[in-house]
Amino acid sequence: MSSIEQRVLAIVAEQLRVPSDEVTAESHLLDDLNADSLDVVDLTIAIEEEFSSDDAPIEISEDAAAEMRTVQDIITYLEDHGAA
Amino acid sequence: MITGIGPVTPLGIGVDAFWASLRGGVSGVRPITAFDPSRMKVRIAADVPDFEPEQFMGAKAARRMARFAQMAVAAAQLARADAGLDLDALDRSRLASVINTGGGGVTTIAAETETLGRGGPGRVRALFVPMMAPNMASCQVSIELGLQGPAITGAAACASSIYAFIEAKQIIEYGEADLAFVGGSESNISELGIAGLANMHALSRRNDDPPAASRPFDAERDGFVFGEGGVVCVVESLEAARARGARIYAEILGGGRTADAHHVTAPLPDGSGAAKAMQRALDDAGLRAEDVDYICAHGTGTPLNDASETRAIHAVFGEHAPRLLVSSTKSMTGHLMGAAGALGVAATALAIHHGEVPPTINLHTPDPDCDLDYVPNRSRVAPVRAALVNGFGFGGQNGVVALGRVAS
Repeated sequence: MSSIEQRVLAIVAEQLRVPSDEVTAESHLLDDLNADSLDVVDLTIAIEEEFSSDDAPIEISEDAAAEMRTVQDIITYLEDHGAA
Repeated sequence: MITGIGPVTPLGIGVDAFWASLRGGVSGVRPITAFDPSRMKVRIAADVPDFEPEQFMGAKAARRMARFAQMAVAAAQLARADAGLDLDALDRSRLASVINTGGGGVTTIAAETETLGRGGPGRVRALFVPMMAPNMASCQVSIELGLQGPAITGAAACASSIYAFIEAKQIIEYGEADLAFVGGSESNISELGIAGLANMHALSRRNDDPPAASRPFDAERDGFVFGEGGVVCVVESLEAARARGARIYAEILGGGRTADAHHVTAPLPDGSGAAKAMQRALDDAGLRAEDVDYICAHGTGTPLNDASETRAIHAVFGEHAPRLLVSSTKSMTGHLMGAAGALGVAATALAIHHGEVPPTINLHTPDPDCDLDYVPNRSRVAPVRAALVNGFGFGGQNGVVALGRVAS
């Protein structure tokens, strides 16, 4: 498992208050993890804070956030946008 | 009728712990640990260090609430259990939630303002508004308990939850609900909350001796101690209470509300606004002065309030005043602001129920301007036929509730 994936899984579990062993990359945010639209916004903010640095900010646009269905979608977005 | 009591207070969580500390004269004032207070003028508060919201609601629900709303929900769940209420057996559209607050989510506003400055607008939580909005005191209780009648939150500063009880009594008498969860909640022990009150010179600066800091009616009082907590009672009509064989702690006999129309923080020096509210509560309840045995005073421990309140009691009760027992639970609990009135109602209902009046602790040096029987330092076993609970708020809002014993 990549370090990005590990960190995303931990943030999702913490933000959505679900046991960490119930979160996998395949988990669907709304259907499996019982999130709603407000949760997804706050989750993406927490992801931005975790993966941004002063010289390399990560910003997830509202449109991109609205497309995220699974934990893997978040991981893919971060990998595509140069998160480290 | 008050048939359930749910306290989440600096003196303990749940009615048994609360009453044991209250009659035992325990102080809930401690050094602040919620944040590093080293740069503050005031470094003490009456917090609830052992409060764990997940004991009363799901972890996810708790994450979506500011602490004042979590405390309201916890207090309501405790009150429901104490009243032995099976909500599924009731028509939920006839159940009200009337829970007031002074400041609502001020601490959440402070935290998100910091986020805005640090990270920009994109970082402000989507849950910011539904967390900080004051009406979440009643609405989160409505959501968590499934109460589908009127849900109301009003603000009247330190008189807020006195107003809640008057409001709830009117709602039930008007026929809009059969039963209500009534009380107040406040939790803003933060740098912003403390700094504002400290700079107003409202707070005691006895940082080196926290348990002795709150000393209402004592000559050496130097301000109140900021507290947090939620207190909710189950209030229902006599018919409803009798129909389900409920234990009745006390009856809400009446209430009185006035405004000083004078100053944002100072009471009218002669206490006439407070006196009128007490007189209205007596009239509304059909009580004569000599019917009252106990007054749960507003008694904040500020130099102005305690003298002015004492004058008001003299003005209303005349020659009966020296025979009254008058005590300030704030000597132990600190000042819970929007929850203070509900804490007073809960304490007074328990005093009526047990026939024992809680003390005013830290009362050692008499003040000539404060010359009533304040039940100094030790609780007193005494029958309480009827009592008043006072709450006087910044802005000049005065609220008084009259409670009475119910013949069993």
